[in-house]
Amino acid sequence: MSSLLAIDWGVIAILLPLAGGTACVLWPALSKPAGLISVTGVVLAIAGLGWRIMENGIYRHAVGGWGAPLGIDLFADGLSLIMLIMTALVGLGISFYARRYFSPRDAVRFWPIWLFLLAALNALFLSADIFNLYVTLEMTGLAAVALTALTGRIDALGGAMRYLLATLLGSLAYLLGVALLYHDAGSVDIATLAQRIQPNAAVWTALGLMSAGLALKTALFPLSFWLPPAHASAPAPVSALLSALVVKASFYILLRLWLELFGDFAQGASMLLGLLGAAAILWGSLQALRQTRIKLLVAYSTVAQIGYLFLIYPLASAGNGIAAGMAAYLAFSHALAKSAMFLAAGNLMLFGGHDRIADLDRAVQRLPLTVAAFALAGVSIMGLPPSSGFVGKWLLLDAAMSQGRWDLAVVMIIGGLLAAGYIFKVLGYAFTQAEVPHDARAVPAGMEWAALLLAIGAILLGFMASEIFALIAVDLVVNADEAGTVWTA
Amino acid sequence: MTNAFLYALAGSGLFVLGLHALVMHAHVLRKILAINVMGSGVFLILVALARRSGETTTDPVPHAMVITGIVVAVSATALALALMLKLAEKSGQAVLPDKHGD
Amino acid sequence: MLQWAFDTMLGFGLLWLAWRALNSSDLFKAIVLFIAFGLLMALAWVRLNAPDVALAEAAIGAGLTGALLLAALARLGAMTDQNVSGASAYPVPSAQPPAGSHFSRGLLILLLSASVAGMAYAIWSLPSYATGLSMDVAAHLDDSGVGNPVTAVLLNFRGYDTMLEMMVLLLAVLGVWSLGGLQQQPEKPVAAVLETLSRFLTPVFILAAAYLLWVGADAPGGAFQAGSVLGAAGVLLLLSGWRPRVRLMQWPLRLALTAGAGAFILLGLLTLLLEKQFLTYPVAQAGRMILLLESLATVSIAVTLAILFLSVSSGHKEKSGKGEKK
Repeated sequence: MSSLLAIDWGVIAILLPLAGGTACVLWPALSKPAGLISVTGVVLAIAGLGWRIMENGIYRHAVGGWGAPLGIDLFADGLSLIMLIMTALVGLGISFYARRYFSPRDAVRFWPIWLFLLAALNALFLSADIFNLYVTLEMTGLAAVALTALTGRIDALGGAMRYLLATLLGSLAYLLGVALLYHDAGSVDIATLAQRIQPNAAVWTALGLMSAGLALKTALFPLSFWLPPAHASAPAPVSALLSALVVKASFYILLRLWLELFGDFAQGASMLLGLLGAAAILWGSLQALRQTRIKLLVAYSTVAQIGYLFLIYPLASAGNGIAAGMAAYLAFSHALAKSAMFLAAGNLMLFGGHDRIADLDRAVQRLPLTVAAFALAGVSIMGLPPSSGFVGKWLLLDAAMSQGRWDLAVVMIIGGLLAAGYIFKVLGYAFTQAEVPHDARAVPAGMEWAALLLAIGAILLGFMASEIFALIAVDLVVNADEAGTVWTA
Repeated sequence: MTNAFLYALAGSGLFVLGLHALVMHAHVLRKILAINVMGSGVFLILVALARRSGETTTDPVPHAMVITGIVVAVSATALALALMLKLAEKSGQAVLPDKHGD
Repeated sequence: MLQWAFDTMLGFGLLWLAWRALNSSDLFKAIVLFIAFGLLMALAWVRLNAPDVALAEAAIGAGLTGALLLAALARLGAMTDQNVSGASAYPVPSAQPPAGSHFSRGLLILLLSASVAGMAYAIWSLPSYATGLSMDVAAHLDDSGVGNPVTAVLLNFRGYDTMLEMMVLLLAVLGVWSLGGLQQQPEKPVAAVLETLSRFLTPVFILAAAYLLWVGADAPGGAFQAGSVLGAAGVLLLLSGWRPRVRLMQWPLRLALTAGAGAFILLGLLTLLLEKQFLTYPVAQAGRMILLLESLATVSIAVTLAILFLSVSSGHKEKSGKGEKK
């Protein structure tokens, strides 16, 4: 057993999908099996890493044996681990959906890029180095754009082009921030920076540039203009990957920077992020309500749900552990629910050949599992008990009220009501008969189950809030106990 | 005051010039040029400020970072150009289509 | 004082060229100005004591990016000539699109001026003496296996970044391939002078690449510079009408494409198994390992850049090998 514990699971989680992706380039015919094996392997590696963290505390690995600040460190605490678990599980669900979704011709294109995206996400959540984060961020962005354009349809190409320009702009702003921080403090290692930086002009400018760049990549309102066209025009499994995982990557970096570097002195900026988050909830929800197509509706719902993540910044005064816990929990919950929704939308599109909401034509009788998946995911997005969406939003609401932020509390409640509005709009049409009956195509059972299982996951996560918070707290305890030894490990 | 600062200031100028062009121009090829100019600005800041360590020793870490950055930039440029050509082939135009949905 | 004047002029020259490139009314002119801007950047790198960056910039930043841009523009021109509905797309008659009112333009310029002032102040406020990580690099240079500190950082101290960067290059090719090919263009006859030139220059480029790779261990140069020079030789060959045989487009191509990435992955696994440490080379072997990594990376970089150029210039389609036409 202990020999299993000694394996460096973090490195495996990065190398395995890279090897799988490279194998797909060499042997395109084996793309699908190579993809499924790699994704399953990543789930096991993340399980191993989680076990290791529970036993030994924070994971740190000095790549090349040099150690920060000269070398690059890999690093995982509870927050990173939860993001990695989210990526592995949601990635697994989407992979099993994609197994049936893509034609053999498209599968050859999809799998290698998805494996590189998975490797980039794992590397990103494991990185302790802000320049290395830039490289992983670019890798994530290029892979995401390539996947968006996969269908080659004109709306997908336009969406991908806009997405590419936005993501490159965001990365450059982030990189300029990295340059300023490096030249201010002489390091790109987050822990070293945390000890060295003082609030001065360079640090403030870096904060502004990095926050703006990452907010653009996370599609925080009003920088969310690129998200709906890209997420709505991509193939369904790709939309699920983009909404569930890719936007979380840049959000995670921003959160990490805030927790470790900027949070102490940037209260004013926290308020601004919170206000934009509140605006995102209202604007995104209203836009979602207006949509006539399911995928655009779900994409605007993502814009709104990202808003909730940013409400954490003004409410973070309760302490870093609680803020990190709330963020990780909400992100995980949204990833499960939103991937289920996009996959369900993909099933509905395959079934009817379109995604017009008014034309759903009794989908509930003909695709009961898919509609159930959409409804269960909707329960979590609306924030009804006992779903994880309810628990996450309840925690936020509780924090807002205990800090007297009634304005944010009211926005959250309105956001929940609007979400109920747009989800029942879809469900309502799924129960009614369309004026013109349609020929329906069969949807493979595996694709229905993939969506349903992710949606059930979003509900089940509602019972696991204490485990998630324990993971983040255990970690802090270990950190305090071994403050000296963690560095040498 | 050394010329390190001079080049760094030029770099921030390039960043903003590129940003201006990125926002103002509709043609995708111009937007791609703008992104590249912005990148050059960032690289210039990164390397110029490494010059502060004196005439004889230079900090090699930002140099390595910029070489990495140049390679990432050419990859992104190639993907952007291919995407632009495909878009132009389908739509007959190399400008971003209007957003759909609102 | 003379140096000061030169640097000031170079700084303003860069800004002026960038402005002209971004706002010239003709796209062809804009790209040529952009290439000139890249060459001036290379000069700036030399002035900043960054010869490695200067080489990379001249070969990739100005050279290959410029070739990509020109090839794409030529394609775009041919495409929109055929397509009557898109005639308005090229050339764009005026540099400034009508979009945006005077008010919003004014607001934008105000915002941008404020941000450049903020950035300038932030840069100005940095201490005028800082060593960064140069001391750490110098202290460990002897254990790195190479004598050129930039190569040591790229391939050893921060070799993990470079590993991911090889993946970014591979990803760019995958992304371009996944878009599918463009419609084939009838190939234009190649000027005889270009053909002769490329016959003569290709061996020179290959020699130059080998030299850069070898010398990179201790002097300016290395995998990226060598790879881009080799890639430039490929571009020149492609320009002169040479096309690889279909047989070469399959296995050998894919192998060359993934050699650098594959070498990093295998070395990563090997070091993890033997040294219990990801990408940690034994000090005695470090020099040889880096040379091996760099050689394979050079091949991959060259092939990647040539493929990217081919995809943008002639609509090369994966597998079909349509590019083969001679």
